[in-house]
Amino acid sequence: MLATFRMEMVKHVLRPRTYVVLGITIVVPLIIAFALKVNPPDFPSPEGGGGHFGGGGGGDLSYFATQTGLFLPVFALEVMSGFLLVVIAALFGGDAVSSEASWGNLRAILTRPIGRGRLLGAKLASALLFTFIATLLVSVVGLTAGGATFGWHALSVPILGIQQSVGHVIGNLALATVYVFWDLAAVVALGFMVSTMTDSVAGAIFAPIGFYFVTRILDNIEAIGKIRYVFPTHYYDAWTNLFIGGSTNDMHTGWLIQIPYVLVFCAFGWFWFRRKDILS
Amino acid sequence: MAPPTLTEPAGAPTEDRVADVVIEVVDLSKRYSSAVLAVDSLNFQVRRGQICGLLGPNGAGKTTALRMLLGLVRPTSGDARVLGTSMRAGSPTLLRIGSMIEHASFVPYLSGMRNLRVYWEAVGGSHLSDANLEAALAVAGLGDAVHRKVKTYSQGMRQRLGVARALLGKPEVLVLDEPTNGLDPGEMREIRDLLLRLQNQGVTALLSSHLLSEVEQVCTHAVVMDRGRLVAAGSVADLIQSSSSAYIEVDDAARARALLEALPGVKSVRAEGAGLEVSLDGTARSALVTALVQAGLAVDTVTSRHRLEDAFLGLVNEGGD
Repeated sequence: MLATFRMEMVKHVLRPRTYVVLGITIVVPLIIAFALKVNPPDFPSPEGGGGHFGGGGGGDLSYFATQTGLFLPVFALEVMSGFLLVVIAALFGGDAVSSEASWGNLRAILTRPIGRGRLLGAKLASALLFTFIATLLVSVVGLTAGGATFGWHALSVPILGIQQSVGHVIGNLALATVYVFWDLAAVVALGFMVSTMTDSVAGAIFAPIGFYFVTRILDNIEAIGKIRYVFPTHYYDAWTNLFIGGSTNDMHTGWLIQIPYVLVFCAFGWFWFRRKDILS
Repeated sequence: MAPPTLTEPAGAPTEDRVADVVIEVVDLSKRYSSAVLAVDSLNFQVRRGQICGLLGPNGAGKTTALRMLLGLVRPTSGDARVLGTSMRAGSPTLLRIGSMIEHASFVPYLSGMRNLRVYWEAVGGSHLSDANLEAALAVAGLGDAVHRKVKTYSQGMRQRLGVARALLGKPEVLVLDEPTNGLDPGEMREIRDLLLRLQNQGVTALLSSHLLSEVEQVCTHAVVMDRGRLVAAGSVADLIQSSSSAYIEVDDAARARALLEALPGVKSVRAEGAGLEVSLDGTARSALVTALVQAGLAVDTVTSRHRLEDAFLGLVNEGGD
């Protein structure tokens, strides 16, 4: 398993696309830092609800980010987890098997005595690892850029009742990074499942993106009822409660709700691939 | 049903012959859907040291049969055995087989060398330094280009790298699908010579090819498939002998053609260059000459035309009737 995983990592590391993708996760927080420095936002109005912290007193992450660089990665995570990180996760997951199938290289690999389960495990692990690296880069680059631009201070906004020490914010940022990654794991797993079923790289990448956005849209329709609570995207932003002193119950539920999605998508992909005739 | 045997060494003990079978296909079938039966109850054997050509028109099921031998495709029924093992995905026996299915494919953004490494070292405990790298690179003949990205390679370079990849493990068995596809005549000759050298080292090879002249030159045996079924199997020499035709040059080709077409035992007559190509059905060539001379025609040339192509077309056409 380790040898197969190592070779999968080599393919990722030597692939120019990997650097483009990771480069985006580095550049966007830098752009955010620059933009906030040049054009700092006003103090959020409680009525305006501007930003995600509307429920917590109408705060605005972008405003907090200018008060302490510790919040810049939080704002960057919020901005990027809604689209860019989803696309990146879909790319790593959806591309895992289908790209090699489309090149025709999959049949060469499978003429080596490598169990299909082992190959899938190595591909899934490497896709998850690079998705985690992408998520981590947003936080680390955001933290660095935020510190360099706005300094690292404790956050104190008495009017909103927010008081957070440096250690508290960094600890919560670590938790938030892992939580966002875990949310993305379901996207990776769905892309991975589709990837075992098709040689179309585009199809395997766009399927989880489509699934993510459809469930996000449906989640906003209250008339759908309680079924929304089991959508994988329902608790997607629950991690932001860490930074406004809100309840973390949604986060706990969010952790758990992803498990069956990840397991079912991976198990179905494994089941399918084990029986698949390699025709490409 | 016992699979047809390509060779039956005279006087060899039965146990030895069984032990000598390297590739054994037994009642092998593959159905992709209710409408597509790609391989239909296929049976054949290849013995150690043979180079066996797998022949058939497009859609005959050759590639599907080869894929089943490598565990890439699951048989619907029957068994595909290599070195005594029923082949399944990930079978350890794959370590003893070198293969190339359809065109040689690689990770395009990696160099040729890196592709060999990734392919070889994906199996635990395998290091490229322990592989047959030097000999494989000599076969690839890529020189410094082996360090260039594969996406810059020509079709021929990829194909040669594909053959090199198949040889990395010093395989006992080679399974090659159209190995000379995309190669120029000089490169094709190198591959033929390579296969003959490997045969001398005891390697057994099963290769499919559309180039019947190539099979005739390099293969000791052949299996002919059509529409998923076995049509014939045997030594190339025997297959060629099963087809008989003659080339005749006379002073009046039109009269000769009319005369020959009316003769019993003549299947067909067609013009070829300055003479006539006569396909025979058990009739001796001397009978043709006698008939032509008796009709007052001057016969300049009579030669036999035994070619694998004739045998192949005859077998496939018979199968289609």
